[in-house]
Amino acid sequence: MNKLSLLSVLIVAVLSMVSCTKKEISSEKVLNLVVGSEVKGMDPIYSNDRYSSNETARVYESLLEYHYLRRPYQLSPNLAEAMPEVSNNGLTYTFKIRKGVKFHDDKAFPGGKGRELVAEDFVYSIKRLADPKLQGLGWWTIDGKLKGLNEWREKNTASETVNYDEVVEGVKALDSHTLQFTLVKPFPQFLYSLAMTFTSATAKEVVEFYGKEFLNHPVGTGPFILPEFKQSNRIEYVKNPNYREKTFPCDATEEFEKIAKEYCGKKLPLVEKVIVSIIKEDQPRWLNFQKGNLDFIGIPKDNFDAAVTPSNELASDLSTKGIDLLIQPSLDVTYTAFNLDLELLKNKKLRQALSLSYDVNTSNKLFYNNRALPAQSLVPPGIAGYEKDFKNSYRGHGKEDEIERAKKLLAEAGYPEGKGLKELTYDCPSSTVSRQIGEYTKQQFAKIGVKIKVVQNTWPELQKKIDTRQVEIWSIAWGADYPDAENFLQLLYGPNKVPGANGSGYNNPEFNRLYESASTMQDTPERTALYEKMTRMAAEEMPWIFGVHRQNYVLKHSWLKNYIITDFEAGTEQYLDVDVEAKKVALEKL
Amino acid sequence: MSSNVQSKSLWRHAFEQLCKDKLALTSLIIVAVYAVVAILVACGVLASDWEKSVGPSYNPPSLEHPFGLDIFGMSVWAKTLKGTEVAMSVGLVTSLISITIGVTLGALAGYFGGKIDEGIVWFYTTFTSIPYIMLVVAIAFILGKGLMTVYLALGLTSWVSLCRLIRGEVMRHKDREYVQAAGAIGGGDMRKLFIHILPNVLHIVIINFSLSFQTAIKSEVILSYLGLGVQGRPSWGIMIDDAKLELARGVWWQLAAATLAMLIVVLAFNILGDALRDALDPKLKGK
Amino acid sequence: MNIYAYIFRRLLYVIPVILGVCAIIFLIFNVVAPDPALIILGKHATAEQVVEIRQQLGLNKPMLSQYFDIVRSAFTFDFGRSWSTKQEISEMIKAGAVPSATLSFPAFFISTILGISISLLVAFYRGSMFDKVTVVGCVTLMSVSSLAYILFGQWFFAYKLGWFEISGYDYGFPYFIPYILLPAIIWVMLSVGPDVRFYRTIMLDEIYQDYIRTARAKGLSERVILFKHVLKNAMIPIITYVVIQIPFLILGALLLESFFSIPGLGSITLNAINSSDFPVIRAMTVLSAVAYIIFSVITDVLYTLVDPRVRLS
Repeated sequence: MNKLSLLSVLIVAVLSMVSCTKKEISSEKVLNLVVGSEVKGMDPIYSNDRYSSNETARVYESLLEYHYLRRPYQLSPNLAEAMPEVSNNGLTYTFKIRKGVKFHDDKAFPGGKGRELVAEDFVYSIKRLADPKLQGLGWWTIDGKLKGLNEWREKNTASETVNYDEVVEGVKALDSHTLQFTLVKPFPQFLYSLAMTFTSATAKEVVEFYGKEFLNHPVGTGPFILPEFKQSNRIEYVKNPNYREKTFPCDATEEFEKIAKEYCGKKLPLVEKVIVSIIKEDQPRWLNFQKGNLDFIGIPKDNFDAAVTPSNELASDLSTKGIDLLIQPSLDVTYTAFNLDLELLKNKKLRQALSLSYDVNTSNKLFYNNRALPAQSLVPPGIAGYEKDFKNSYRGHGKEDEIERAKKLLAEAGYPEGKGLKELTYDCPSSTVSRQIGEYTKQQFAKIGVKIKVVQNTWPELQKKIDTRQVEIWSIAWGADYPDAENFLQLLYGPNKVPGANGSGYNNPEFNRLYESASTMQDTPERTALYEKMTRMAAEEMPWIFGVHRQNYVLKHSWLKNYIITDFEAGTEQYLDVDVEAKKVALEKL
Repeated sequence: MSSNVQSKSLWRHAFEQLCKDKLALTSLIIVAVYAVVAILVACGVLASDWEKSVGPSYNPPSLEHPFGLDIFGMSVWAKTLKGTEVAMSVGLVTSLISITIGVTLGALAGYFGGKIDEGIVWFYTTFTSIPYIMLVVAIAFILGKGLMTVYLALGLTSWVSLCRLIRGEVMRHKDREYVQAAGAIGGGDMRKLFIHILPNVLHIVIINFSLSFQTAIKSEVILSYLGLGVQGRPSWGIMIDDAKLELARGVWWQLAAATLAMLIVVLAFNILGDALRDALDPKLKGK
Repeated sequence: MNIYAYIFRRLLYVIPVILGVCAIIFLIFNVVAPDPALIILGKHATAEQVVEIRQQLGLNKPMLSQYFDIVRSAFTFDFGRSWSTKQEISEMIKAGAVPSATLSFPAFFISTILGISISLLVAFYRGSMFDKVTVVGCVTLMSVSSLAYILFGQWFFAYKLGWFEISGYDYGFPYFIPYILLPAIIWVMLSVGPDVRFYRTIMLDEIYQDYIRTARAKGLSERVILFKHVLKNAMIPIITYVVIQIPFLILGALLLESFFSIPGLGSITLNAINSSDFPVIRAMTVLSAVAYIIFSVITDVLYTLVDPRVRLS
């Protein structure tokens, strides 16, 4: 049978080729990261989701960043030399730009050498974010905030080309390294937008050189270089050899002092290479981590019990492999929203009854491994406006008396035992967990006789249904854009109704008034008092059933150094280090 | 009238052959059992308490619960039974939809020929050119989600092969003597087509039915994975989709139960389909 | 009618089919699809931005010109840019074609060879226990859900036993081989069942033809009959069956590519479906439809060339 022998030769050939391609462990310091979703290109003004902004921020830098070793979150200068000078009326912010910062080398520059960063680059980048033809997705961060910018945007909407040469009062370069912002009205949260990737520095000549392909040719000032972005399963960044003298911070809040002491003053970035794998499915992501192909990973819900024991410690089989568990509350809130445009759901007692019937403790156990914090209102712990001891009186925990109260409220709402109430539609995203939460909600409401139908949607479909008001009840979550309660309270601000972020359409004049006055105030006890008043109002009116504030659970391998969970991880990989020797030893055990 | 006699003997012959083939007979019985289970579940006799939590989350298989429990502590066995109802109804309705469309269009095209034929052939050529998964997704976009969408999406996309076969077969039959004879005694086109020709191509429909039935059951899994499947009740597809989060922690029983339940009935349909073709398709009768 | 006239006519027929395909696509994506502005703008959209985006995407153009844009794209392959990633779609397709091809063509080739070999064997031993067991075995393989194969294979063979890479992809030969091994095996397991069934039927069809009886009467051995006559004559339907499957390889295997992180066209399509990225879904639909049409022309022409029995009409 010569056919058989041919076949065996083929198989041997293939196998030997495979064994030749087995990678050797290099002595280079390489970070292996993972993202769970497709990355949408590398243009800062379109980086509106966590995944894209993380990628973009490896290459681009902004004026400010969050201090890596301080909690609560604190802004610190990045491309700016220091925090800005703020005028007494709170309207003018003057920045000194760091000297000697170079853009990456790229053929868009004369001679292929990256030129020095100047204040005018920020003026250009901010205008680019406001460019009506480009429709940058971060426009909301500066919309209506900078003097003359909205007028500039409007003027250029109608015209053929956008005129970048016209000087805008709100964002001006006073000299080559001095930048001045002028606000329309005091808005202290403005500084947060200068730490986002939307406002990072881009060079005009690069944008013009690549045109529409600019999103695939990131050229920034950042610690890592990506010559060309390709939509694939992996992105590979290399260290920027000309990176400016930026060093590891020496000051830290208590819990991070050890790291600060060890690394203080070391030149950044600490690794040679960053490899980002794009793995969309949970199973391969988890298996790859356990094999040591990824340095750290958030724990998927269903791997939780396999990884963490009930006493919140790491399962022994993982800890013997040298895997560490990190836990950190995240700045977010999950909620089940009501469409308050519907006459039916304007009935406050109905909303309160539904909230009381919903057992948050069991949902915490089923979906968050009992580690999340049941939300009393919308502001999460860790930022001003959250009250530790406040209890929402319509929060259900599955207790008998709560169910009785819920039934009573339902009767008062006009639907004794659910009679006369139609089946409500509950929309949720299409992930497996969202569906299970929907099924759980159905069980909960059924306890007081309210029926719902669970419908799954892709994310854009759900967004569309909310925006066109074709929703009744839906489940959703909000993660902080910046660490300020204002970012959560705006979800209930009347004028923010769809297509803004206020999906439920809550519109309470009193609440709106409080919001408007708080949003122009500096961080003071008075402002915190206003924030607290608003969260209590929301807890009484129940425009949503408040869910939980989630915790981030991250598993990391022993060789990864300095990893800290943060809600604002863009740009933080420059602080991470890999112990190559330890990795070699640890891989043996995996 | 000779045609009827001929076809009767064909059917009797087929039936006898089927009874002799033990494997095919077993398959037939399995399919019947699944059908009975589905009906009992639909009537609420079986698995009516599938929504009840009967033990701790993810309890492994035990004597009391042979297939273990899921995340909510629901019995995986009860969910599998409930899933049977969905699977069988999806298979049945989908096949009926595709047969109705396929037979009608195929018969019209084959019998009348000419412009009608050209139109129908153009239509199904166009239709098959579009990838199946895109059509399914598009239909789900238009109709929203739910069991009805699953029926229609799968039914509306699976009629073409049957339509082709019927068209060819009707073309072969329409010039035969018995059809001419029926015409001579005053039968109209419709009468000739539906009373005389169709019974003679029925075997194709039967074979196709058993095959499209199982394809539909398998496709339901893919729809569930895409989030376009059945909403608010268990199905085999949803159970397998759940398993993608569970397997890595060692919870294998939900995947095993759904896969096994599906494997048995799909296998039975496949074997039955093969046996039916061997028995009914005259081309292979020389065996 | 001579053969060239036939081919010409067959080619001409492509036009109404493409117009029809475009009409269906147009109906689905331009008439009933959701508003793209919301997909593009995300959670902080304003009404003014929605208006501007609609304008830029040409959604305010008359329906007929939107339809002709689709028809044009079927010939120029200029599909515009993706809504969600803003990439040039023709570039995305180029980038995704290679990984898809490196998975689907080897897997398709192996499963076809395997299918033909097994079906020859079972045709040789037709009616025996071996025949029955093999056929039932093949049918069992195809009765398991593809998702179950993937989940189990990845967990057990790649992770537990460490025989294969868990997921990922490397460009260039031979670097991609370790990554496609497991998905290719799953592919073969899924497709060998239907293949064997189909090829076996074709071979049995041939075996019961009169000329085979004659050959047998002449005293030729069963093996010679099988390889010389049956296989030769069965080649025509086999080739047509193979050729017509090729366009379906274009989309690759959606689930396989997604679970094994292979950045092919299947992954791209699945992403587009999940993010309602209509230009990409539309492009993939047009692309595979055009491929299907081209390959069915090739099949028909091949068929007429090799088989004089087929009437030229």
